[in-house]
Amino acid sequence: MSAIIFPAQPEQILKGLGKLWTSLGEEEKHQGRPTVLRACAMTLIVATDEADAGFAASQTISELMHEHPARGIVLAVSPDAENDLQARVLAQCWKPFGKAQQICCEQIEITAKPGNWQNAAPTLAGLTAADLPVIFWCRHQGALKKDASAADRGGLEAIAKLATKLIVDTRGMQAADGIALLLKWKGEGKLVADLEWTRLTQWREPLAHIFDNAALENSLSGFHSLEIEHTEDKPGMQALYLAGWLSGPYHAEVTFRKATGYGPDIQRVSFRSDTAVIEFERTSAECVTLWSSTGRERKYSFAEASITALMTEELAVAGYDPAFNAALERARELLE
Amino acid sequence: MQDSLRFARRVPPCAIVIFGASGDLSKRKLLPSLYRLFYERRISQNFAVIGSSRTPMSDDQFRDRMKESVSKFLEDAPFDEDIWKSFAQCLFYVAGDLSEEDSYEHLKTKLDEVEKSHQTAGNVLFYLSTQPSYYAEAIKKLGAHQLQKGNGWRRVIIEKPFGHDLASARKLNEEIHKVLDEADVYRIDHYLGKETVQNILAFRFGNGIFEPLWNRRYVDNVQITAAESIGVEGRGAYYQEAGALRDMIQNHLSQVMATVAMEPPTVFDAANVRDERAKLLRAVRVVKPDDVAKYAVAGQYGPANVGGQNLPGFREEPSVKPDAQTDTYAAVTFFIDNWRWADVPFYIRTGKRLPKRVTDIAIQFHAPPLGLFSQETKGGLREARPNLLVLRIQPEEGISLRFLSKSPGSGMRVRPVSMDFNYGSSFGERTPTAYETLLVDAMAGDPTLYTRQDMVDASWQIVQPILDVWGNTKFDFPNYAAGTWGPQASDEMLARQGHVWRVP
Repeated sequence: MSAIIFPAQPEQILKGLGKLWTSLGEEEKHQGRPTVLRACAMTLIVATDEADAGFAASQTISELMHEHPARGIVLAVSPDAENDLQARVLAQCWKPFGKAQQICCEQIEITAKPGNWQNAAPTLAGLTAADLPVIFWCRHQGALKKDASAADRGGLEAIAKLATKLIVDTRGMQAADGIALLLKWKGEGKLVADLEWTRLTQWREPLAHIFDNAALENSLSGFHSLEIEHTEDKPGMQALYLAGWLSGPYHAEVTFRKATGYGPDIQRVSFRSDTAVIEFERTSAECVTLWSSTGRERKYSFAEASITALMTEELAVAGYDPAFNAALERARELLE
Repeated sequence: MQDSLRFARRVPPCAIVIFGASGDLSKRKLLPSLYRLFYERRISQNFAVIGSSRTPMSDDQFRDRMKESVSKFLEDAPFDEDIWKSFAQCLFYVAGDLSEEDSYEHLKTKLDEVEKSHQTAGNVLFYLSTQPSYYAEAIKKLGAHQLQKGNGWRRVIIEKPFGHDLASARKLNEEIHKVLDEADVYRIDHYLGKETVQNILAFRFGNGIFEPLWNRRYVDNVQITAAESIGVEGRGAYYQEAGALRDMIQNHLSQVMATVAMEPPTVFDAANVRDERAKLLRAVRVVKPDDVAKYAVAGQYGPANVGGQNLPGFREEPSVKPDAQTDTYAAVTFFIDNWRWADVPFYIRTGKRLPKRVTDIAIQFHAPPLGLFSQETKGGLREARPNLLVLRIQPEEGISLRFLSKSPGSGMRVRPVSMDFNYGSSFGERTPTAYETLLVDAMAGDPTLYTRQDMVDASWQIVQPILDVWGNTKFDFPNYAAGTWGPQASDEMLARQGHVWRVP
């Protein structure tokens, strides 16, 4: 671990990383066998405007490294920063159970004084790992807002240009704003992902399994009516995505309804054909129940997925996600 | 007494005369390299260095200055006071102006003294590390004072730039050949002395598995990148006249391209290796003036804030004209018209104030014929052509091979992974600097890594049409901000061929 803080010049940071690996390698010399394995499958850039100066983002990165080793870069904002942009480098290491060798990933923390994070893109451009995907996870909610300042938006776009895939969490955003932002990036040829879509996996997976049932197989086109109950005044991103996903292929008629229930977002989904009904409902804070007219009833545990779990799932999708992209397009149509 | 397996190559006794001994190259590269060679006993015990420049200095003053430089600029090696004392006994100095006849007489006298005191056997290696405009005159005067002949061999190392265009390079060659045989001329291109550049030959011709893939059938395109994050660093006046195309592509990078693309030599010796390099350079298609805009892009950096630091644009650098038309970035598409490489684009780019300092060669292989995993790989061209072999020249010398691999878990998800060979960690020992390698080669009479007249001629021929067109073009500079990967036109040049620049 290195606590040395220096101005965020790419050359200095890369030299810092070099020294870091050299120091980790010293241990190998003493032990006379390989003790450290350097792992990197991508560059993961996380920009955040949270008040903890990037602490939570760093923590999440360290948890993600086990499944998705990466050069992690946290870009945070702090009024306590000594320079406009400053950096430090460290290694995230862990020892897999039963193994003698540590696996280490490098992490760079860049801290900006308020009003300076927007200038980080040229530094980041010099720090991406060669020939591997660059994932940009934007936790900077200020820059994602529709009324973000031109400087914040410019800073966001400059970093987005470096990335092969952009991940945002549109929870709490107006659906129209979230969809517009994602479609804009998609139009620019970027791979996009939304953690609100990732949260739907626990809804989508059981629903998809219903159609494995022999009685319903090949009957999806007959489901012409879809009703989604949600807790917000207007359907949020999750409701729109789910509607887009379920109604997309055959353009089922969609109805949204406001309801009260357990926790935020979607409470109940009802999907109908002339001969069958599927209903999926939150029946307690930690449970959803699925009924189908084939006589099936099953309860599933339901828990709010942690950000680490959502990111782990999202980072596993390295390329184009056809289901999400189709749902996004359909969500836009539904919004209109 | 010799043991070629265990002893370093034997280098004969000699004296090295450095013209321009008070210059930056001597201080930063030449003397530290010579000290290191001395430290490692890789040069003869009968050895001497005679520095020469206009600055009046005694031998001792020269030694003191060089001690300061060597201790400061020695790379990855300790400075040993005792070894320095021995080394310093081999350092001498002759003050003089290259245009004055007396200087050569003083030098001759000093050489005679050193030949006796240090038993250098009359062998002399002259190193022209002066302003390029002095090269022809210095060589002419070496001849006039009979310094090109002696009891032993006489060789001349000439630093780049070798001419400022095709005509001046040819003229300089003519002047040199009036005094010296081509065999005694060592045109240095320090890139060829780098371990990884030499390793290209070992990699290609020492292994059986790569060479069968090394052709148009398997290779989609080749990208050579030499990026610097720094600006002109006080060299504004020189750089303003040179530009990136002259400074890097005409010499270093065209030689690197020749090393990557040349045919295997029948024998690994200087003549055969250089023949193949020259042949390759002659096969490079010379772009027509009308096509220059299509195949070449010039750029110049503008000001930017990088890492909280405000960096000036090129035109704001000291000694640079406010309306300078100099290319601080150049990207060129070359085609090699031979059976091996027909229609394979070789993209070469170089520039200052790019995001990081990196030099590498990327061999991009074709995509598999059928995209079985296309759903996962739809995210852009780089993933569509997953196989990439990267020969890293600096800063971390090594080789990487990228390929797709299945992600652990159920389902056939694939993602790019990289298999790396790192020079430092595989061999552990310190690699010699390019100048150490090249100086030893010149002393040993091995010109394999030096450029020959026909190679210089051919490399000027391929850039001359671009220089001519750019010289008559008024560019709308600056066209890229410091800290970015160059102008948009460079991306468009590749897009026209269906390619994208990789991010090194």
